[in-house]
Amino acid sequence: MTDFDALWEALPEIVDGLGLTIFMWLAGSLLSPVLGLGVAWARRFGPGWVDRPLWAYVEVIRGTPFLVQMFLLYYGGPFIGLDLDPTTAGLLGLTVYGAAYFSEILRGGLIAVPKGHVEAALCVGLDRGQIIRRILLPEMTLLVLPASVNMFVVLLKETAVLSIITVPELTMAVTGFGSANFAFTQSALVLAICYWSLTEITGRVGRGLERRLDRFRIA
Amino acid sequence: MSGEIAITMRNLGKRYGAHEVLRGIDLDVRHGEVTCLIGPSGSGKSTLLRCVAFLEEHDSGIIRIGGAALGFDEGADGARVRLPVGEIARVRRNIGMVFQQFNLWPHMTALGNVAEGLRQVLRLPKREARERAMAHLGRVGLAEKADAYPSQLSGGQQQRVAIARALAMDPKIMLFDEPTSSLDPELTGEVLTVMRDLAAEGMTMLVVTHEIGFAAHVAQHVVFLDQARIALEGRAGEVFRKPWHPRLSQFLETYLDRGASVLLGG
Amino acid sequence: MTWIHVYLLAMGALVTAGLSVVSITVGLGIGILVCAASLAKAAPLRWVARVYVSFFRGVPLLVLLLLIYHLLPQIGIDVPGVVAALVGLTLCTSAYQAETLRGGFVNIAPGLVEAGRMVGLSGAQLLVRIRAPIALRLTLPALVNEAIMILKASSLVSVVGVGDITRTAQNLSSSTYRPIEMFACAGVFYLVLNFVVARGGNGLGRLLGLPRA
Repeated sequence: MTDFDALWEALPEIVDGLGLTIFMWLAGSLLSPVLGLGVAWARRFGPGWVDRPLWAYVEVIRGTPFLVQMFLLYYGGPFIGLDLDPTTAGLLGLTVYGAAYFSEILRGGLIAVPKGHVEAALCVGLDRGQIIRRILLPEMTLLVLPASVNMFVVLLKETAVLSIITVPELTMAVTGFGSANFAFTQSALVLAICYWSLTEITGRVGRGLERRLDRFRIA
Repeated sequence: MSGEIAITMRNLGKRYGAHEVLRGIDLDVRHGEVTCLIGPSGSGKSTLLRCVAFLEEHDSGIIRIGGAALGFDEGADGARVRLPVGEIARVRRNIGMVFQQFNLWPHMTALGNVAEGLRQVLRLPKREARERAMAHLGRVGLAEKADAYPSQLSGGQQQRVAIARALAMDPKIMLFDEPTSSLDPELTGEVLTVMRDLAAEGMTMLVVTHEIGFAAHVAQHVVFLDQARIALEGRAGEVFRKPWHPRLSQFLETYLDRGASVLLGG
Repeated sequence: MTWIHVYLLAMGALVTAGLSVVSITVGLGIGILVCAASLAKAAPLRWVARVYVSFFRGVPLLVLLLLIYHLLPQIGIDVPGVVAALVGLTLCTSAYQAETLRGGFVNIAPGLVEAGRMVGLSGAQLLVRIRAPIALRLTLPALVNEAIMILKASSLVSVVGVGDITRTAQNLSSSTYRPIEMFACAGVFYLVLNFVVARGGNGLGRLLGLPRA
């Protein structure tokens, strides 16, 4: 049990790590849908020539492991003048990664808004901006909610990968403690339980939200 | 006002690629009258209505609403010019549209749907928009459903809210695109009743419908479209009493079970 | 960057492919069992399946790999990295596949099963002839996605010392000081492998007469 006592001693560092994990997760979860919406919007409504490069961006990001992307950014970045500290690189990488997935989710949502709802708005006299703000974006948000919650969980789990490029988040903090005290198993267990709780809570909140929004959905 | 021309179409044409959906349509819709567009599916009647709402852009010819050209006008040299967006919106303000699929916005209550245009387009203060929206919901008999979301309403109720939403903008002309076609038979009655009341109040209505009974009893003017053209038009009584047109009698026969038998019997 | 590097990365790609194929196949077997448990009448079975799916989907694969890598020796099983990697990948994907399959079974239109019952099929016949094939048709695209996900996630086995694409690229990058070329080339290998899986999935879909995705 002494291992667990040592764990108790290391608690402040672990709490710091948890804090950074949650910060990276929330920041990534906020930034990547915004960037993703930009990409989805440009591909749907922008000039034709932007579609190809954006398609390539989405497919390359979705077709390669996050770890490889992070290695490329973190170890390759300095060679092209992008010398970032691990945390900044982590946040940038997480955002660029999440945005590719979100752009597909949001593009699907935009396409799924029934054309008739926009036509009805035109007939009532709403202008373009009003239709986007009042009809398109809210309806799209409802449609993409389940997929987005899934993606938030994915992003949370990907933050653990950032430990490999030495971002001092939860996984790094706990495994660091583990190797210092030869308490590998205990530390891995603590990690598993931390992440499991976070993902389970996120999933539950997501499902609850979905139930509450059910009345906005026409079968 | 009654009897004056509300909508004029001259030589209206519309095609999708090689497929001609509307060809050489000349039609006048009079103020205070109900005009019904009937015809087999694929005859172009919905497209015609959607052109009048400028949801589809016609390829040739001209549509005038209250004298003003819709969407396209002829320039001084006779060339076709597209009118600016603001002008299109201004002309479209004369029109209210009711869709087959209702198209209520699912994230707004019944009241929210009706008040949306009042708030965003007419910029009415919240209270006034609310009061006016409530009055229109009352007009279609749904005042007590004001706070319900579309998902909590039956199809018939949704369509009545959609009618209230269109009426709230105080249009001069109401367009109905098969308003009862996606309703269960027992729900069509409540929508038709609202439409009948509206007609009795003198609303100018252009209605695409398969409800031959409604067309026969409520419409003053019936237009029969077939294969992208107007095959026959006239006063409702004349068109239905003497279905001398072979395609029309064939068309009506398919609707014998929908009330047309009464008419054909005399 | 020389052909030697490409060759080494290609060897790594074989390791990645091998790991993915084994874990997806074994994971499918376990996934079917877990799916059956999650649809069982006995509540404890359903409960166990729920926790299983929730845990292995909820914990990052990296953490799972560390746990297995360190936990197994503690209970007396000394495992090489590659076994830890296989166990981790398999557990992870089995949970995802179980959940996907469950979704397929739950979403079968009841009328289709009722029609089978009216024709006189027995319970087992219904399962084998009607429900399982329909569930497979419903879930094939999601299962192909899952295969692609595991292919990418397998890059994490580099942390337990398995010489897959990513690990090879890491080694080459530190020995040549050319991280951009090495990792970009690694990325290309992943794209190619994904393309192959996606193509295979499409072919399988056509074989089953599915509409093209």
